[in-house]
Amino acid sequence: MSHSENVLIIGAGLAGMTAGLELAHAGKKVHLVERLPLIGGKVIKDEESFPNLECSTCMVAPVQQDVLQNPNIVTMTYSSVEKIEGEAGAFHVTIKKNARYVSMTDCIGCGMCYEPCPVSQKNEWEENLGDVKAIYVPCAGALPNVPVIDAQICLKLTGKEECSACADSCMFGAIKLDDTDEMVEIDVGAIVIATGAGNYDASKLPQLGYGKLPGVYTPFEFERLFASNGPTLGELTLRDSEKNPEKVVILHCVGREEVGYCSSVCCMYSMKFAHFIKKKLPDAKIFNIYSDVCVVDKNYQKFFKKVEGADTKMLFSPTIDGVKVSGNGSGMKVSYRGGDGADESLDADMVILATAVVPDPEVGTLAEMVGLELDRHGFFAVKDDVAGSVETTREGLFVAGTAEGPKDVQTAVIQAEAVVGRVMSYLGKVTG
Amino acid sequence: MKAKVGVYVCECGPNISEKVDIDKILETLPGLEEYREIELVVKRFGLLCSGDGKTFLEDEINNNGLTHLVLGACSPRDHDKTFIGVCKKTSLNPFLYKIINIREHCAWIISDKDKATEKAITYIRAGINRVLFQSALLEKKLDINPDVLIIGGGIAGMEAALSLAARDRTVYLVEKDDHLGGKAVLLGGLLPRQGGGPAKIREKIESVLGNDMIKVYLESELEGVIGFLGNFEVIVGSPGDEEKKDLKVGAIIVATGSGLADPAILEGLDYSKTDEVITSMDAERMFSKEGKISLKSGGDPKSVALIHCVGREEKGYCSRICCNYMIKIAGYLKDQSADMKVTEFHRGLCLPDKADQGFQKEAEGRGVEFKRVRELTITGTNVRYEGMDGKSEGLKFDMVILAPALEPSEGTEGMADLLGVPLSESGYYQEIHQTTNPVATSIEGVFVVGAAHSPKGITDSMLFAQASAGKILSQLIPGGKITPEIKVSEILEAYCTGCGNCLDVCVYGAIYYDEGRGISVVNEAVCRGCGNCFGSCPSGALRTKHFTNTQLYEEMREAIR
Amino acid sequence: MQEKMENQELDQFKPKIVGFLCNWCTYAAADLAGSSKMEIDPALTVIRVMCSSRVDHNLVLTTFFSGADGVLIAGCHPGDCHYGAGNYYARRRYALLKKVMESLGLESERLKLSWISAAEGNRYAEVVNSFSEKIRQLGPNPINKMSGL
Repeated sequence: MSHSENVLIIGAGLAGMTAGLELAHAGKKVHLVERLPLIGGKVIKDEESFPNLECSTCMVAPVQQDVLQNPNIVTMTYSSVEKIEGEAGAFHVTIKKNARYVSMTDCIGCGMCYEPCPVSQKNEWEENLGDVKAIYVPCAGALPNVPVIDAQICLKLTGKEECSACADSCMFGAIKLDDTDEMVEIDVGAIVIATGAGNYDASKLPQLGYGKLPGVYTPFEFERLFASNGPTLGELTLRDSEKNPEKVVILHCVGREEVGYCSSVCCMYSMKFAHFIKKKLPDAKIFNIYSDVCVVDKNYQKFFKKVEGADTKMLFSPTIDGVKVSGNGSGMKVSYRGGDGADESLDADMVILATAVVPDPEVGTLAEMVGLELDRHGFFAVKDDVAGSVETTREGLFVAGTAEGPKDVQTAVIQAEAVVGRVMSYLGKVTG
Repeated sequence: MKAKVGVYVCECGPNISEKVDIDKILETLPGLEEYREIELVVKRFGLLCSGDGKTFLEDEINNNGLTHLVLGACSPRDHDKTFIGVCKKTSLNPFLYKIINIREHCAWIISDKDKATEKAITYIRAGINRVLFQSALLEKKLDINPDVLIIGGGIAGMEAALSLAARDRTVYLVEKDDHLGGKAVLLGGLLPRQGGGPAKIREKIESVLGNDMIKVYLESELEGVIGFLGNFEVIVGSPGDEEKKDLKVGAIIVATGSGLADPAILEGLDYSKTDEVITSMDAERMFSKEGKISLKSGGDPKSVALIHCVGREEKGYCSRICCNYMIKIAGYLKDQSADMKVTEFHRGLCLPDKADQGFQKEAEGRGVEFKRVRELTITGTNVRYEGMDGKSEGLKFDMVILAPALEPSEGTEGMADLLGVPLSESGYYQEIHQTTNPVATSIEGVFVVGAAHSPKGITDSMLFAQASAGKILSQLIPGGKITPEIKVSEILEAYCTGCGNCLDVCVYGAIYYDEGRGISVVNEAVCRGCGNCFGSCPSGALRTKHFTNTQLYEEMREAIR
Repeated sequence: MQEKMENQELDQFKPKIVGFLCNWCTYAAADLAGSSKMEIDPALTVIRVMCSSRVDHNLVLTTFFSGADGVLIAGCHPGDCHYGAGNYYARRRYALLKKVMESLGLESERLKLSWISAAEGNRYAEVVNSFSEKIRQLGPNPINKMSGL
């Protein structure tokens, strides 16, 4: 089999996009596969990124645009890798492009089709805080700005009714209700895994009330609640109510003991949340319950201290394990153990759980397909005898970003750039 | 010759056509012909960004011999590149075209059709007026040199060198000491997750020395640098040696590592006089040389206090690596004697890697005690601390080991000055973008990696080094060329007084002072075209191409007519 | 009588506002407001610049002298500048310009500097609408009155 200079990147978050753009710049043909209908990854869910509180959209949108407009990058959204055959330097990859029911070439993204659609559901991308129609883009400003039809609820596609409201409203003939899944086969020399990570399922810790008490939020729920392009246009209103929170408790290290590692980003985003809330609701009382502090960049502690002094009260607890969140009339009560070992409690109407970063739920399927072992936490492992490596245990396969373990955006980008160097050297070696 | 301007209004299906009266636009615009002494071709089209639309435009440009092109359509963020592509297929210079955003900025935001139409006419007139004053600009391509200079032969510098050499780049590795390996080679051991021990670092040194693509200059320093990405000229010299080496490289990697804060920074501690108090680096050196950690007075310590975060508050940042290496040192001590009392005094553990918490638990399992403290003072080898419960206690140890904060290495300020790279508040080099571009600096082609970038250990130093190699390998292809930004600033010699304001405001170091002519000069290969210098110029000598005063004034005047 | 005439003038007054928007943040916010179909006051005409720091004194004053009733300069939030620190320079120039305007007899409220990020389509709409309303209250640029425009 002949060797290929092309590269497959799985996952179009900031790590995947960064690696893709730089490899494309070097003249490599890049196939960028993303399972969601939009590119950008987790970062674009954040209104602002720590530590500079920089607008994430401003930071990432130019990267997204560059990816979509780069002639060397073939971006396949709403797609998944189905099969990988061959060997390092000459992989043969089968990709399934899920039926989108909207033509990527004909649609201009005007959004005229959403309004007439008669069915709606909770928007998963918005952490179920808002609704979308059966034909939708996950968020305002999504790129590529082409909607997708959810075949699970579309009246026509589920066979419930002969509806064609979206197709009738489209002046560009972009709606293809007869669209089908498509298999694409490509040859690549190297594969980069940049599939990102998930968050610890807080409902596994029933004492924290997530899923039962509406005032308990996960980090991404809070991010979307705060986001000016999110479901509430950035209004911090409590779930199932029009009220703003008055007393907020941010609980650090949720799931840390269970997963067995520190996620290294939660301290910083927890402080960011405190700052966000104080900025929008100056009268709100904000408490952080924490045990360790992990602020690992030269600029992080400065931000941490600033927020600590101005926006929130830090409450030390030797262990997060004993924390309980219970309903208390219309509000909640948070019980924890204080620094002196005594039991303490706080009233709250909003509790944000800083949940651990965990492997993406679909990581096992991918690992099996690409023939890679996972480490004991379930992340992709790098070659065990090389510190600071981005090479996996299988030749020709590389990993970047949180697919390898919890990390901040900076380190994810660094790994992506390191992958670029490794892939360039590797392809040079195998293709001569 | 009379300008012949093609104005095409995109219907964008119903998006524009239903919200603004395109026919009225087409009727109104010809009124401009006499007033501006131009000839107009005015048409509407269904969807300009479609394949048909692009062909239509290409034909219109060619068949009408258009001198300028104005499109009333959507946002340039959507389709500027599309239509620049169309222009490039014709003889029309893309800088003589302008897309006018009458969709996002008119049709979609003004529900009153008459008002939206009026607004669209205003926008298009302003656009026509602007485009008439635009100038054709040409892309320039510059040859590049793919070789790389690396300053600093520690773990980061060596890793970068090997990564680049693996892709056949010539690397000049400059090290001010008489040996390679930096701080890493002095260590007694590595973390388990770093795989292997000090022998691995020595192997790396051997690979660097044995690599034909890497030219190592020991006891040497960077003395001068001029140029820009792809074309730097640098001078490398050795103190006391008259002979200088002039090298040509395309990129520079700064890997000068890190220093350690003087423990004297710790209040109440007279480190210089206290015999049985040593730093973590002293402990590593001792372990590396003797295979054990002994008291200066001789013999093994029976109890050792490990003090974290020495100088952290003063420095204003967490040094990231200390918690881990202090646990590693506790491991040396427990190996030495399982009965030894080893106590780590910390202020919250920082264990950022997925393997770290396991490593810490393992140490705990071996009897290493972890004490979280609020306050702590050391007198001799007595440690007095206030716990999180507010209670104070004093403990006496045979030996105290301190983890001093990392700090920028000596000479960082001078090097920053030489390279033109700014320093951050923490004293470390300032990267161009903390999150999206962390190894690059405001001087394009100069990269900062390893502990010179921010406090970091071996793993992250290697990653940053590889990242810089990745950026260089993808940006500087042997035999390739780079295309600098075209919309750059320029300085008109006749007006420039050489006051230097523009030099001060330029983030990219793109402007230099030409002493011979007494004026400031823009290096077009470095400028990114933000226009900040323009606002700083008191004498009207600056121009930012494609955003000149005339162009913006003409657009503005028509916008408020 | 006098007052009534002025009221009439005010009713007919269609303010002309120029918005110099930075390419990276606020121009994108304006696009987002557009694609979200928000209703925005037509008084403002957008002129795109690469960075808010490009908007120098001459450009702003010339815009006022050409008859604009208001000028909006909008760019990235502090710390977000695509070019590092351009918006900080814009802020300094803005502070100085306000003083210059007062000394020229132009109400300094006619000039507004705002930070609007690419995600803040709604904020863009709010800023433009409230600024347009403000200018409507202020009435025509006194330079226009003087020259009888």
